[in-house]
Amino acid sequence: MNQNQIKFGDYLIIQRQGYTKLHKIKPNGTITLGKDVIQLDNIVGHKYYETFRMIVKPGSKRLYTLEEVNELTTKNQLNIEQSGADNRNIIDDGNSQALTKDEIERLRDQAVSSSDIVEKLIANSKTFNSKTEYSQEKYLKKKEKKYFEYIQVRKPSIRLLAQLFYRQDPAKTLGIRIDDLSQILTYANIQSDGKFLLYDSGTSGLVTSAIMNSIGPNTHGQLIHAHPGNECQKAAFLAMQFPQEQVDRCIHVNLYSVLRCYYQEGGNYVKGNESDKKQNQEKSGDNSQNVNQKSHSEDNAKCSGSNSESTHEANQDSQNDEITKQSNINSRKRKHSESDSNETGTVVKRPYWQLENEKACHILQEKVDSIIVVAKEHPMSIVKELLPFLKDGRTLVVFNLVKEPLQDLYFYLKNRTDFIGVKLSNNFMRNYQVLPERTHPEVIMNFGGYILSGYKLNM
Amino acid sequence: MSFNGFKEVIGEGDTVILYLTIHQIYSVKADVKTLSKKGATVENIFQTPYGALKCADLIGKKYGTKINLSKGWGYVLQPSPELWTLTLPHRTQIIYTPDASMIVLQLELTPNSIVIESGTGSGSLSHALIRAIKPHGHVYTFDFHEQRVQTASTEFKEHGLSEWVTVKHRDVCSAGFGSELDNVADAVFLDLPHPWLAIPHATKAIKEVGGRICSFSPCIEQVQKSCSTLAELGFQEIQTIEVLQTQYSVQARSLNVLNLDFVKIKKNDSENEKNKEKEVVRTITSVPPSTQPGHTGFLTLGTLPPVWAKSLKEQMENSNMDIE
Repeated sequence: MNQNQIKFGDYLIIQRQGYTKLHKIKPNGTITLGKDVIQLDNIVGHKYYETFRMIVKPGSKRLYTLEEVNELTTKNQLNIEQSGADNRNIIDDGNSQALTKDEIERLRDQAVSSSDIVEKLIANSKTFNSKTEYSQEKYLKKKEKKYFEYIQVRKPSIRLLAQLFYRQDPAKTLGIRIDDLSQILTYANIQSDGKFLLYDSGTSGLVTSAIMNSIGPNTHGQLIHAHPGNECQKAAFLAMQFPQEQVDRCIHVNLYSVLRCYYQEGGNYVKGNESDKKQNQEKSGDNSQNVNQKSHSEDNAKCSGSNSESTHEANQDSQNDEITKQSNINSRKRKHSESDSNETGTVVKRPYWQLENEKACHILQEKVDSIIVVAKEHPMSIVKELLPFLKDGRTLVVFNLVKEPLQDLYFYLKNRTDFIGVKLSNNFMRNYQVLPERTHPEVIMNFGGYILSGYKLNM
Repeated sequence: MSFNGFKEVIGEGDTVILYLTIHQIYSVKADVKTLSKKGATVENIFQTPYGALKCADLIGKKYGTKINLSKGWGYVLQPSPELWTLTLPHRTQIIYTPDASMIVLQLELTPNSIVIESGTGSGSLSHALIRAIKPHGHVYTFDFHEQRVQTASTEFKEHGLSEWVTVKHRDVCSAGFGSELDNVADAVFLDLPHPWLAIPHATKAIKEVGGRICSFSPCIEQVQKSCSTLAELGFQEIQTIEVLQTQYSVQARSLNVLNLDFVKIKKNDSENEKNKEKEVVRTITSVPPSTQPGHTGFLTLGTLPPVWAKSLKEQMENSNMDIE
């Protein structure tokens, strides 16, 4: 039961009707939904999935507190006396609503409940009673949406996060729609046991968290999450609030840095602080871009929820310095006594990022059970560089919003002769409105991306 | 025994995927002997379009390697739920990978989920469910067809998956899932002719902290009935979706370019024309198949809220109907 209780520090999904927003709850924190600002302290100690009513703070405009409710007053209680048969007598003259805009706003500020507002709107509507039953229902739904005063607090799940990011902006997940995500996980054969390698240059942590979610708690699966910048995007990963042992099995590394470690340290990844000297030089300029989403980043100094897209354009070396710096902050938090004791006597404090690189290199040496590439960049060079780490008989999965880079990759893999079952696919996904006598596909649909997958052979 | 986790080498009794071409994929058993149609023990030989395969030869080979057939070659892969879906013996209509993937994600399965499936059918989805819930979870799968139950049960055993799945012979629409499954499930999946009859039983089986439901139905009338039952019983986030996958053939195409310039010039310039090479534009394109399934089934999804939130269920239902 405890884990169903809302506490400070939790990531929540605040839901008002169809709208959802990810939020980390802090003492005295507020969340902004549209024009409304809501104080959240009252929900702490309550359980997830409870419903709260927004109550206007006396003397304020659009500032609300929350109160738990056990009963909703919605249109069910409204009395509709009369309906029309069709719309032949309804004329759009802009005068059907007798209340003025100002009058309606005033009602709202007076903390009148949403159903009262809707009732007043109906009472003052000249045309409402001549609308058809269906049309009335639609009208009510529309108005209710506008004045809806209840919110629900949800615990983040991969499903909710995927929907949330995609609805906010598909670019937040590089265009990965929920069906794309489901198939990436499937084709990559993600399961509780196994070692997986992901290159992800900006899905708000969605793919990382989805893979870790499938790997699950108290299992042996591990994920290397390689990213291009000094920080990886991590919003969804933090939101999932995995237990520490599970978090520890996700190794976030900079792609350049980990490959350099693999090739240049020659299997002996227990060395050198050469970059330590340089690491204090850079940085400062880079911090500003992270500030705007700091709610996601403060938990973990190494990875933030912010978008680090500009960093991968910088040259490799400076990135490395930056990541050094970044993870040094982190290494203070983490104990690395375990690795220190390996060194006989001498206390060599290696930075956190380096320990992570070494952890990743050990896995890479043994090779991985699948490689997933979700890249903003052209996937070709990344795939070429990562393929040597893929075990024989295992899958490569590459996602892209457009098919052209994947077509290039398709020919490359075909020419390699050690790939079979290379497939390029995309999905048609459609939602349906299911209502009595009014079932039809939803009016708006969207388009997912392309997935390329194939099996590597031992040749 | 080759479905449980990742494996490097083919062991005796493993189910092995034999890959010849993208359209010729088979599953074979790495057994020395097999039973003939007459029930006699004979050498296990698998006939392919490229000649015979002695299945005993597979034992000890590494997955992902090339194997020789008498008139060609093929490759051996470890079975995954996806490869199994492509090669399994059909006893019923099956759920294909695009739908199965969506079902697993939408049911929010993790390696400790308890999930109920009905019906078992040919076990296509079951394999995907088991992969998702291993090692701490469990699949309870039901079918009203006794022989299917037995076959599925044998298959899970052969695949090394029995530990994570219980197959039961039962008509869940009339008999429910059994009281031993009251309040134990995180998720329920229904693929039944009359799913709305099983939804009340699903409500009983889902944990007190709530859970997810998914019903797969080919017909819209089934969806309408299911949706109204779900709404009546307090499910939220009711949603119906359809997912279709298109697989493309990537091709390089060369297109001749007609030179139409010379039509504007008098014929006596024709020498120039002769010298000109034929112009060809090369383009890379992805071609969808000329026909493909345009419908599999509708996935109707919903969330049963936790007990403490149920008092609000019906009212919230109305307001949540239009969540995307």
